[in-house]
Amino acid sequence: MGGAGDSSESKVSNEQGQGQGEEGSVVINIRCSNGTKFTVRTSLESTVGVFKSVLAQNCDVPADQQRLIYKGRILKDDQTLHSYGMQADHTIHVVRGFAPASSTPAPAATATATAAAGGNPDTTTGVTRGVGSNEGGAFGLGGAGLGASLFSGLGSLGGGASGSFGAGFSELEQVQQQLTQNPNMMREIMNTPAMQSLMNNPELIRSLMMSNPQMREIMDRNPELAHVLNDPSILRQTLEAARNPELMREMMRHTDRAMSNIESTPEGFNMLRRMYENVQEPFLNATTMGGNAGNDSGSNPFAALLGNQGGNQVRDASNNPSTTGSEATGGLAAPNTNPLPNPWNNAAGGTQTNSTTRPNPAGNVRASGLGGLGLGGPGLPGMESLFNGMPDSNQMNQLLQNPAVSQMMQTVLSNPEYMNQMLNFNPQLRSMVDSNPQLREMMQNPELLRQLTSPETMQQMLALQQSLLPQLRQQSTQEAAQPGAPTGTPNNTGLEMLMNMFGDLGAGSLSAPNQPNVPPEELYATQLSQLQEMGFFDTQENIRALRATAGNVHAAVERLLGNLGQ
Amino acid sequence: MTLGSGGSSVVVPRNFRLLEELERGEKGIGDGTVSYGMDDGDDIYMRSWTGTVIGPHNTVHEGRIYQLKLFCDKDYPEKPPSVRFHSRINITCVNHETGVVEPKKFALLANWQREYTMEDILTQLKKEMATPHNRKLVQPPEGTYF
Repeated sequence: MGGAGDSSESKVSNEQGQGQGEEGSVVINIRCSNGTKFTVRTSLESTVGVFKSVLAQNCDVPADQQRLIYKGRILKDDQTLHSYGMQADHTIHVVRGFAPASSTPAPAATATATAAAGGNPDTTTGVTRGVGSNEGGAFGLGGAGLGASLFSGLGSLGGGASGSFGAGFSELEQVQQQLTQNPNMMREIMNTPAMQSLMNNPELIRSLMMSNPQMREIMDRNPELAHVLNDPSILRQTLEAARNPELMREMMRHTDRAMSNIESTPEGFNMLRRMYENVQEPFLNATTMGGNAGNDSGSNPFAALLGNQGGNQVRDASNNPSTTGSEATGGLAAPNTNPLPNPWNNAAGGTQTNSTTRPNPAGNVRASGLGGLGLGGPGLPGMESLFNGMPDSNQMNQLLQNPAVSQMMQTVLSNPEYMNQMLNFNPQLRSMVDSNPQLREMMQNPELLRQLTSPETMQQMLALQQSLLPQLRQQSTQEAAQPGAPTGTPNNTGLEMLMNMFGDLGAGSLSAPNQPNVPPEELYATQLSQLQEMGFFDTQENIRALRATAGNVHAAVERLLGNLGQ
Repeated sequence: MTLGSGGSSVVVPRNFRLLEELERGEKGIGDGTVSYGMDDGDDIYMRSWTGTVIGPHNTVHEGRIYQLKLFCDKDYPEKPPSVRFHSRINITCVNHETGVVEPKKFALLANWQREYTMEDILTQLKKEMATPHNRKLVQPPEGTYF
C-alpha cells in the first residue's frame, strides 16, 4: 500500500490546471487520513482550490470533500499555498469531510491502489528500475571496491601507488574515495573471506599490481618502491592496516587533534600567520631577487642566505652542474603536482642546520633561519629533541659525510611521494604545512630538496656556519660591525628580527601543548556566554563541549543537542 | 570521548526545542492524524501555536477536524503550554464554556514533563476522544467555535 502510494507521485505535471505555473513548482507531501502518502508537484502560487483538484487525481476524495490541514490550520480554497507559508517538502494532511463515516476508508484505499497500480505503469517501472540500478551500483562498487581497497592499501604504504592508480582509473579513484570515507565499508570488504584469502596471498597481489602497466612503470622508475612492493611482509602489513579502520582513524584523530591544538591556542593561529608573514614572504621576496641578491643581502636576510647558498652551489658546480641558487629557488614558483609535503626533508635538512644552531642560538640565527625555511621545522618540539641529541657540529658533519647516510637521504628525497607519506604520519608537521601552502609547495619541490640536502651544500653550509660563529660572537661582544667579514654582515636589525621570530615560534609551539593550563572558563569566555544566550545553562557541560570542539560554538551546540538525543 | 559521556543532563533550551517541534510539524513527521504549526511566523519567541486533531474512527468525532490553540510561554517546556479548543467539542477534559483543556482533568498536562511535546498533547487528546466516556457524547454541530 505504501509502495503503491509512493509510486503515484509526479503525475501532476499533466494536469491541465497546473500547466502555466510549472517553473516555480515544489514537491509537497500529502498524507491522507487513511494512511496513504504520496507527493505532488505544484506551484506555491496556486490556490488551495486548484490544489485540491490536483489532489483529486491522486486520491479518490473529490475536491469538494477534501479538507486540507497544514501546520494545524485548515486551508481555505481561495488562499494560495504560499500564503500559508508552504515550502518544499512540507506535509499537508488530507481529510475527507462531510462524508458518511463508514464509507470513507475502504474505497479510498482500494481506489488509490488501483490508480497507482493500473493507471500508472510508467512510474512503477521507474521505481523498479531505480532499485535495479541501485543494486547494480552497489554491486559494481563492491566489485571495484575489492580491487580498490587493495590498491588503496598498497598506495598508503608504497606512497606512489595510490596516486598513479587514481590517475589511471578515475572511477576507481572515486570508489577509493568512497571507501576511505566509509571505514565500515572498508572494514567489511577487508573482512570478507575472499579478501582475507587474497591478502594472505601476496603473490596474487603482486601479480595484480604487475598486470597494471602504470604500476609497473612506476616500479621500474623507482627501484626502492619496487622493492617495497615486492616485499610480501610489507604488503601484508599494509593490508592489515587498511583492514583496521580503528588504526587509521586513530591516526587521523591524532592529526586533527594536533591541528586543533595549535589553532585553539590563543596565539596559535597568530603564530602560524606570523610564521607565514615573517618567513614566507621575505623568503619569497628573496627568491624573486635571487639573481641580484648580492647587493640586497643586507636588507633582506633571506636574500643573503640564498645568495650565499647560490654562491656555494656555483662553486660546487663540478658536482652539481645544473643547479645554481637562483635555479633552485626559481623552482619554488613552478607549479607542483604533488599532493603533500615531505617530513623527511625536514628531518634531513633540519638536522643539518639545527644541530649546529643548538649550542649557540644567538650566533647562528641566520643558519637556523635557512633551516627553518627550507624545512619548515623550527619550533617543532620533536625536532628539537632530535637535534638536542646531536649537539656537536663535528659529529653532525661526520654523519653528513657518511656516504651511506647521504645516499639514504637521497633515495628518500628522490621519491617525493614516499616523503609525503612520511609527512602524513607526523601530525604536527602536517598541520604546520597545511596552514602554510607555500611552505608545502616548497617542500614538494624535489629539485630544491635534493639541492638543499646534497652533501656538498650541507658541507658548505656547515662551513659557513662555523666561520660565521666566531665572527658573530665577536660582533656581538664588540657591538660593532666587522668590516672584514663578508658573510657575517647582515644588519643587526635583520638578525634581531630573525631571533625574535624564532623566539616567538619556539614559545608558540611550546605553549600549544601547555594549553590546558589556562582555565577553560577563561579560554572560552566568549563562546560560553554565547551558549548561555542560546539557553545552554550548564557551564560544565558547555565547557566539555567547547573543549571537544576546540572552541567552535556551532559544533558545540550540535554536540550538546546530539548528546541529548542519544 | 563518546557522546554519552555527558549523560542526558544537557537541557535543550526552549528555542531549540520549539524549532525542533516546528520542523516536525511542517514536515509532518508525526503520526499524521494531528498537525500543528506556528500562528505567527514572525514571533521570535514562538509562543502561539495552532494545532488540529482529526477525530478518531469509530467515534462521534470521526471525520471532524478540531482546531486548537496552544500557547507556549517563556517557561515552556518546563511548564506545559496552555491548550484551548477553538472548535467546539464536548469531552470531559474540556471546559464547556471556554474550550480550555483543563489540566486537572487531562493527565498529560497535570503530570507534565519537559520531554513531552505539543504533538504528544494533540495525540493524547485524540486518544481522549476515543475513550469510552467520550466517544459517544453528543457533539455540538461541526463548524462552530468557542
